[in-house]
Amino acid sequence: MADQRKPDDHLVELMVGYQKGNMNDFTLLYGELEQPLKRYLWTFVRDGATVDDLLQTTFLQVHRARHTYQPPRPVKPWLYAITRHVALMHLRGARRRKESVAQESLPEIPVPPEVESLGDRALVRKLLLELPRPAQEVLTLHHMLGLSFEEVGRIMGISAGAAKVRSHRALKVLRERAAELDVKEQV
Amino acid sequence: MSAQLPDAVQKAIERDHRAVRPLPPLWRRTLAVVIVALALLAAVLVTHKLRPDLPILSFWIGWGATAIELLAGILLVGLALRESVPGQALTTSTIVLAVAAAMAANGLVALATWIGTHQAPMGLHGGSMCLRNELVISIPAVLLTVFLVLRALPLRPCIVGLLGGAGAGLVADGINHLLCPVSDLRHVLVWHTGAIFVLMAIGWLAGRVWELSRSV
Repeated sequence: MADQRKPDDHLVELMVGYQKGNMNDFTLLYGELEQPLKRYLWTFVRDGATVDDLLQTTFLQVHRARHTYQPPRPVKPWLYAITRHVALMHLRGARRRKESVAQESLPEIPVPPEVESLGDRALVRKLLLELPRPAQEVLTLHHMLGLSFEEVGRIMGISAGAAKVRSHRALKVLRERAAELDVKEQV
Repeated sequence: MSAQLPDAVQKAIERDHRAVRPLPPLWRRTLAVVIVALALLAAVLVTHKLRPDLPILSFWIGWGATAIELLAGILLVGLALRESVPGQALTTSTIVLAVAAAMAANGLVALATWIGTHQAPMGLHGGSMCLRNELVISIPAVLLTVFLVLRALPLRPCIVGLLGGAGAGLVADGINHLLCPVSDLRHVLVWHTGAIFVLMAIGWLAGRVWELSRSV
């Protein structure tokens, strides 16, 4: 399948306006990206309060580093890379402090259409959580948030091919697990 | 779509919402490294005596080897600068391949010079001086790399440090190749190539320290 998704031009315009000091553009950017970033952060932490904290830290980091965005490059890979970094730093810090991570149930977020047919939403979400985090990340970024494999690779430091393979394998594992559960239920 | 900003974000933006100039493109940042490398080369040529056997070395083993090492070093620094911009992460294979190719080029230069000069074996003679020279020569390149990297936002500072250290080290080694009169392979591999590894290690460690200091 061809992987040709266009960058969001309006996000580029907002980002350029923000770099020029237009606060309104920042507010619009925040409004547009708040939910997708939260969805992405849910692949790292399972606690709503922490997700909110990390989102705030992300935007503070974005503000400090706003000059590092280079128009007309797509905004999302730049932003998701910063978000990922903030989340990984948080996980590393929590591990060092030996904090236990709260586990809340996932919020009502959409699941990839490719796996929606595998079962009801609760089951699909449960199966998604069983996947290793890198696989969850690829599925979230590509299938749920609409980034191209090229962009996913640039965020995660892997090649577009590797991102594609991870996504393919993750979907395969999900299908197999769903089939397994289906068989068990029938028995 | 409008949204309610969290308090901390709102305050941070109110404190500082001046216009910022976006980071220059990669080629322009790398060009700064090219200029510093050439200026370093020119300064060393003016202030130091070149190796006495340079006239008998073939052009490629003498000046050509220096050019190859400078180019490899600048490319590595360029990769470090790219990696230091969010969303431009390099793949592991690119990093490994780039460092391996640069070190292979360094090894080939050492081997070709050793074969080309027919010098009597001199062992590890005068090594610490060469190590010191390379580290001193690399200082301007290291400082410029650090400055350019810190202007951006390295999300994997250890990798940036490793690439930047290797790049600055290769630039220094390329210049030192025109100065050091010892071609013995053991001397070159231990002290010259060793200096590059020392700079890589320093870069990696500096990245690690920076990363720990910024942990959430």
